[in-house]
Amino acid sequence: MAVTGLGKVRNKRKQEEVEEVEKGPFAGAVDLEMHSEDEAEDEDREGDDASDDGDVDEFPEIDAASDSDEESDEEGEEEDADDLDEEDTLDENSDADSDLHIFPKSKKVVSNITGQTKVVYPEIEPDYDSDSSTEDDPNRVGNIPMHWYDDLPHLGYNINGKRVLRPAKGDELDRFLQTVEDPNSWTTAFDKNTQMDKPLSAEELDIIRRLQAGENPDAEYDPYEPTIEWFTGKGKEEVMPLSSAPEPKRRWLPSKWEKQKIMKIVRAIRQGRIVGSKPTAADKKQQFYAIWNEPPSNQPPPLPAPKPKLPTNSESYNPPEEYLPTEEERKQWENTDFEDRERDYLPHKYPALRLVPAYDQFIKQRFNRQLDLYLAPRIQRVKLNVDPNSLLPKLPSPNSLRPFPNYKSLQFVHTKARVRCLSISPDGAWVASGDESGVISLWEVNVGREVKRWNLGSKVGAIEWCPRLDACFLVAGTEERLHFFIPPNISPAMLTTTQSILAPATLPPTTQSSIKWISTSGAAEDGPILTIELPSASGLSRQLTWHRKGDYLASVSSSETQGSVWMHQISRRHSQAPFKKIKGAVQMVLFHPTKPHFFVATQRYVRLYNLAEQKLLKTLMPGIKWISSMDVHPSGDHIIVGGYDRKLCWFDLELSEKPYKVIRYHSRAIRSLHFHPTYPLFASSSDDGSIQIFHARVYSDLMTDPLIVPLKILRGHDVQEGLGVLQIKWVNKQPWLVSAGADGNVSLWCS
Amino acid sequence: MASLPSAVPSHPVVFTTQTPYTLPSQKFMIPLDWKRYQLSQLINKALDLPKPIPFDFLVHGEILRTSLLEWRTEKGVGEEDTLEIEYFESVMPPQRMSELPHEDWVSSVSCRIPQHFVTASYDGHLRLFDYSQNLVLDASVHQSPITSVCIVPSPPSDTESRILASSSHDLTACLTRVYLDSETPTASTVASLHLHTSPLSSISTDASGSHLLTSSWDGLIGVWDTSIPDDHQVNLERGDDRKKRRKTAPANIKRKAPIAVLKSHTARVSKAIFAAGEPAKGKAYSCGFDSTVRTWDVESGVCMNTINVPERPMLDLTETPDGNVLLAASTDRTVSIFDLRVSSLSSSTGVMMHPTTPSCIATSESGKNQVVTGSYDGVARLWDLRSTKGAVTSFRVWDGMKVLAVDWVGDVVGIGGEGGMEVWRIAGGS
Repeated sequence: MAVTGLGKVRNKRKQEEVEEVEKGPFAGAVDLEMHSEDEAEDEDREGDDASDDGDVDEFPEIDAASDSDEESDEEGEEEDADDLDEEDTLDENSDADSDLHIFPKSKKVVSNITGQTKVVYPEIEPDYDSDSSTEDDPNRVGNIPMHWYDDLPHLGYNINGKRVLRPAKGDELDRFLQTVEDPNSWTTAFDKNTQMDKPLSAEELDIIRRLQAGENPDAEYDPYEPTIEWFTGKGKEEVMPLSSAPEPKRRWLPSKWEKQKIMKIVRAIRQGRIVGSKPTAADKKQQFYAIWNEPPSNQPPPLPAPKPKLPTNSESYNPPEEYLPTEEERKQWENTDFEDRERDYLPHKYPALRLVPAYDQFIKQRFNRQLDLYLAPRIQRVKLNVDPNSLLPKLPSPNSLRPFPNYKSLQFVHTKARVRCLSISPDGAWVASGDESGVISLWEVNVGREVKRWNLGSKVGAIEWCPRLDACFLVAGTEERLHFFIPPNISPAMLTTTQSILAPATLPPTTQSSIKWISTSGAAEDGPILTIELPSASGLSRQLTWHRKGDYLASVSSSETQGSVWMHQISRRHSQAPFKKIKGAVQMVLFHPTKPHFFVATQRYVRLYNLAEQKLLKTLMPGIKWISSMDVHPSGDHIIVGGYDRKLCWFDLELSEKPYKVIRYHSRAIRSLHFHPTYPLFASSSDDGSIQIFHARVYSDLMTDPLIVPLKILRGHDVQEGLGVLQIKWVNKQPWLVSAGADGNVSLWCS
Repeated sequence: MASLPSAVPSHPVVFTTQTPYTLPSQKFMIPLDWKRYQLSQLINKALDLPKPIPFDFLVHGEILRTSLLEWRTEKGVGEEDTLEIEYFESVMPPQRMSELPHEDWVSSVSCRIPQHFVTASYDGHLRLFDYSQNLVLDASVHQSPITSVCIVPSPPSDTESRILASSSHDLTACLTRVYLDSETPTASTVASLHLHTSPLSSISTDASGSHLLTSSWDGLIGVWDTSIPDDHQVNLERGDDRKKRRKTAPANIKRKAPIAVLKSHTARVSKAIFAAGEPAKGKAYSCGFDSTVRTWDVESGVCMNTINVPERPMLDLTETPDGNVLLAASTDRTVSIFDLRVSSLSSSTGVMMHPTTPSCIATSESGKNQVVTGSYDGVARLWDLRSTKGAVTSFRVWDGMKVLAVDWVGDVVGIGGEGGMEVWRIAGGS
């Protein structure tokens, strides 16, 4: 195998030589790009060859390669030896010329040392006869036209620089006499170098004779050489195996694998899984037919190839001056990338057509045609000319999106405990904030002065102001109870309405429910006017939310059982549990602002129910580990969901059940989210003590995506025991935000 | 004194003033490294004043705080231009005169009764202090927090009694007659004003004391006269809860109805005042949370002009004594200046930026170009309207407690807020 390998090496080297030779003249002018893919292909091909070789190695009975190896005779062996010695290719040429016998003939001798045959050349004796060039004529002017010396007395110069004088030359008569006298004169020829006649040698005469006879001038040439049997005949058989390894067993045993494969096919044919292809109709059809018998089809002839563009003046070898590029244009053309050039040539002026050089793009053009044949694109764009800044989303500057809250205007302090919840009256004048020690404070938004305080004695989990405009009251949720309060200083008409809602003179018929409604009419100044007692062990009411009409109130308790969500109807004084069974702990519920829909956020999912038809409409999958808060856009088509794992998901309800956008910007868990009822703003608060304000513009056009721009980070709440800002609420009608923190502060942020 | 021999380059200057201390109109060459102190000394020396008076200097509408050279390089004024420098008596650092502690927050103060201070507090009491910090009178007028108090100027014949008008969260305003002459001053509520359905935000009176304006969170402005009716003009509202409170109130409080209602604001009205000065008689201004300043013709009850300043809900409004400039404090930490002399005014002509929410503004008769503002960081600031870039001086009244009311009469500034009331003295000023 080693020999075949060597042969391959040699072939490859020859190929390279050929390529080099071909490239030679164009090396300066051509700039071919060899794409790496092509190279890879080449390598692949070589790799295939190599693997083929391996196959040949395994099956030595296929001995085409070894035959070719035998083909190489002694001379070939010499060459191989040369290759092994890493000698230059010139030696090969010299070997090829060895037929001319310029060098003395070599002999093959068995070496005493290695036992191999080796080539021995006869010794050269460095005497006078050893080099025929030394006995040459004394004239050393070289191969020049000798008539240059016609007028001179000498013929040229010898090796020492001395003049070689012209030999004496007789006139015509002398020459004639000489031909007569000298019997050898007819075999002489005039030697220009010495300017005298020289007798021709016997070999030269023989050549002349052969030429005259129309024979091969070479005397040694034998046109009738006997046939040499190189490859066939006795004694030429391959008797040597390539390796001394014993013949493997698989060489003479039938292959099991092939048998299995064949049997598989046989079985498939038997079971009818492989059906032999039927002879096609084309085969049956007459194979030969007279083409002129059929009428010509009336199909339009194939489109002619598009005509190449006619050359313009600028492509002329001698274009008018105005077509010639200026120096800057030329520089610009040279600096632009090949694929970006407007035209692939530069006009150039030549004074004459014969001075136009060869087309320097010739190879390139051929290469491109090859690419066309391979269906490869002529231009391969490596880089994209894209400004990285253009990939950033174009967000308007926050200054153009004013107003939004940007400073803390005032602070209200709950001294005892952390503030869990707050609510702002629908007219935007009052804030009610409840803390964990059971104190609810009612204070003015703009002055921050507490005007009323109720002490409930147990943790306040949620406060919500009734959205009704004709009545004014607020609900606070504590452990297993909901308390309704009327704020002081409301107009008598409103007070009467509120009292008739919460503590009507004639109670509506009691309904079957495990929930008790207790009204305390009369002394409603200091205590709750109405108390709803939720079932025991339902825990702290974590969230309250009003339907927009202010008749229904939904409450979420912290217990994990099904009794955590309750729907209370104020006018009927009736409570019911809307869900018989809920998967997972309910985190939050919300009423849809316009439709009779109801959002329920469990730990992982947000479900949207239709309350009128009592069915599940949609399950939103925010991909949040634990949902903490959500809010519905006032339009009702978008909701945002925040989680304890810091993510905020924006859902377009029209679009998908997957979030339209997931943003993570808080460094700790998100606690509260709120959309502004009128301004395009929303805010989120987090346990990292910060509040982030976003501009969130929703377009009525369904094609335009909502625009979400981060506006401001409000800092000012302290983080206490890992809790930051627990609830935020926007002030109705004003771009102001009120936030309740675990540090007991309630802050008003103004624009 | 025409020019001072000095190596320092000098600048031609002409001095003007509105104070009685006038220099002859003459061009001075002032060295450029001079500051306020040297200029003030120059004027003192030139006038040969017996007692040195410090002066402040206004150059191009800005109070000079650096040397002239720095000012000139900052403004890029040429060397040859003659500068016109106006000088006025500089405001001395304000001094705290007295503290009047309160148990509750003070929502409004007034210094308009000579030798007395009136405070209105969130506990519903009106209190009267004299200058020696004694509590002269403590009247429980309202059951709810009082938001504002004003003193109705009484006719000159009536010297022994005053009428205090107070507005409150309990939807009414009350007129309280205070007798000062007797040994122990007494107060009796004589009338209650019934119109509004939301807490009142302010009450104010006109210069003659014949009319009152109340503004409320329900967006209405009530116009009232100050006469005490003989009979109730408004019937008692029904409602058992109300009845109890009425029972406790004395029966001699006459319920008054408004003579006109000004309706145009779309949100809470935070302040309504009568226009000062004779030419603007019968006009009133109001501002509110709908970011507008409205001018009213009180007689016809028509809104004559609306200045809309977007996104600037206003908390307080005041007018300079000459009636030229309106000032409005808003929640975006600015005090807007409205120059009423500009025809067809549609926006604010200037702002004074505050670090926190300014809650109240006061002007005084004596300081025509100066205003005092109080803000939620417990700092009161004195501004000069000619130079609104920064406050002339600021004085920290309380640390971290809000200032809710200021009043300025003469050189006395009363400041009310979270920490009670304090009286400061501002000397000087143009």
